[in-house]
Amino acid sequence: METEGSHFTGAEEPRAAVHYTVGCLCQEVEEDKDVQFSKQSIAAISEITFRQCEIFAKDLEMFARHAKRTTVTTEDVKLLARRSSSLLKYITQKSEELASSNMEQKEKKRKKSSAAKGERTPGEQEAAMTENEDSNMA
Amino acid sequence: MEERGGCAGGFRKDTVDRLLRLHFRDGRTRVNADAQLLMAELLKVFVRAAARAARQAQAEDLNKVDTEQLEKVLPQLLLDF
Repeated sequence: METEGSHFTGAEEPRAAVHYTVGCLCQEVEEDKDVQFSKQSIAAISEITFRQCEIFAKDLEMFARHAKRTTVTTEDVKLLARRSSSLLKYITQKSEELASSNMEQKEKKRKKSSAAKGERTPGEQEAAMTENEDSNMA
Repeated sequence: MEERGGCAGGFRKDTVDRLLRLHFRDGRTRVNADAQLLMAELLKVFVRAAARAARQAQAEDLNKVDTEQLEKVLPQLLLDF
C-alpha cells in the first residue's frame, strides 16, 4: 500500500486509499448480508466519504482552535459525533478503550524501567525519589 | 479487526492523517495519534452506515445495491453525521 500511487500528486493517493478501504468494508457487508454492491455504488460511497472528510477536517480544526490548540485531540473527534446519540456513545466508548490501552502501555513501561533499576516496587521507588529530592533541596 | 480475503477492514492511521491534513486551513494544525485512531473508527462507522443503509433500501427481490439505493438513504446519513 505504501508504494501504491507514490507517483500521484497530493490529493490522489488518499482518495485511492479511501476507495480501497471502502471496497473492503463493503465486501464485509456483502458477505454479511449476502448482497452485491455495484462498482458505481462503491465508487459513490468512496466519493461521499472523501468529501465528508473535508467537512470533518474543517470542523476538527475549528474545534481545536476554539480550545486554543493547534493539535486536534479525541475531544474534538467526539464533538464530531454529537448529532446521533448512538454514534456519540460508540465513539466515546472507543475513546475510553484507547485511553485505557494507553494506560496499560504506560504501566508496562514503568514496570519494565523499575525492574531495570533493580527490582524496586513502585512504593519503594517513590520513597527513594522523595529522599533524593529532599537531599537536593538541603 | 477481522481479516477477510486479505482486506484490512478499516482505515489506516496515516491515511486518516493525510486525509484530514489535505483540508486544514492552518499549516500548523496537527492530529494527535489517539485522535487519528478515533477518526479511523468514525470513518469506518460512516462507510458501514452508508453501505448498510443502501442495502436496506433495496427491493427485496434484488440482491444488487446500486447508486439509486444510495441516493435514497444519503440525506438521513448526512444528517446523522
